[in-house]
Amino acid sequence: STCSSPSLSSTSFTTQDGTILTNIAYVSQFKLTCDGEVADIPLYAEVGGKPLSVVKSKETNSYVVSWLEETKKAPRGNFEIKVYDDEGYAAVRKAQRNGEDTSSVQPLGVVILNHPGAYNGPWINSELAAVIVAFGVLYYALTTKTKLEA
Amino acid sequence: MCINKNCLNLTGPFTMDNWLKICLVVVFAVATTGNEEASPAKLLFSKQILNKYIVEGMDIVIKYSLFNVGGTAALDVQVADNTFGPQDFDVVGGQLKVTIDRIPPGSNATHVVVIRPSKFGYFNFTAAEVTYLPSEDAAEALVGLSSEPGQGAIVPFKEYDRKFSPHLLDWLSFAVMSMPSLVLPFALWYSSKTKYEAILTQKKDK
Repeated sequence: STCSSPSLSSTSFTTQDGTILTNIAYVSQFKLTCDGEVADIPLYAEVGGKPLSVVKSKETNSYVVSWLEETKKAPRGNFEIKVYDDEGYAAVRKAQRNGEDTSSVQPLGVVILNHPGAYNGPWINSELAAVIVAFGVLYYALTTKTKLEA
Repeated sequence: MCINKNCLNLTGPFTMDNWLKICLVVVFAVATTGNEEASPAKLLFSKQILNKYIVEGMDIVIKYSLFNVGGTAALDVQVADNTFGPQDFDVVGGQLKVTIDRIPPGSNATHVVVIRPSKFGYFNFTAAEVTYLPSEDAAEALVGLSSEPGQGAIVPFKEYDRKFSPHLLDWLSFAVMSMPSLVLPFALWYSSKTKYEAILTQKKDK
């Protein structure tokens, strides 16, 4: 069962506060229409060469892919999720086994997920900044005083 | 019965008839128990909370992992997590009820859901359910439960903010309040210094 004229529409979500989480979650929910009708065929997905589990949500009639990265290493930016059907994915696996480049296999579609980056706390602790400013003022005062006394 | 001078002792209980019966029994036993590769699918299901702190109004990341330890693929795997009621939690990423068509033997599937609690307090994170068909011609679906993360405390946002926010406004007001005791003496000295230097330069010019 191949999909003719496939079109993907997607919404994505990434967690954006890294201070309370051990892993950042990247979730993309997309709908596939083949020839204008909503499709229910099995799909396979890959991001950056890593295979993803594709699950279906019957309530929203859509597919969901998700993965996690450690907070410290979570890269930001655009991620290309390549979606394949049965045939396409079999071709990808065959190319991997033969050591060929998998980008030669045309995916059914590509879903873009954007992660703007997670907030990992302020660059400088505000208490540290206050101490630095206080020391700065003290230094200025002391040097001026010694200049006067000299 | 003799073959090349090796004779089977076919007397007493070891008649040809009995040998044949014994052979049939043995063959039958091997045939029914020897076929181990088609063992039905069995899913191990774990649910993990990937948070350092759980704060009211901030994300909770939940990871569901399914692993098939059986010999055949698990079909029509339906995962449902009914433990997060809509009045206490908002789902912001992923879905709590999903279906996976097929999990091949020896492979796993993961799913991530992000929710936000709308209330604070102690919450017991209990198990999610999974139902699946252990083989293609299985009559009934098997039901399983995930691991339970256990009880966790959802911290009110005010407490989290008090501990972890940078308090920039507080530091700014501290700086403003400590200004008078520093700036006033400095201003006095600076004004008299410039006046003194002005007088000095005037004298020099003369």
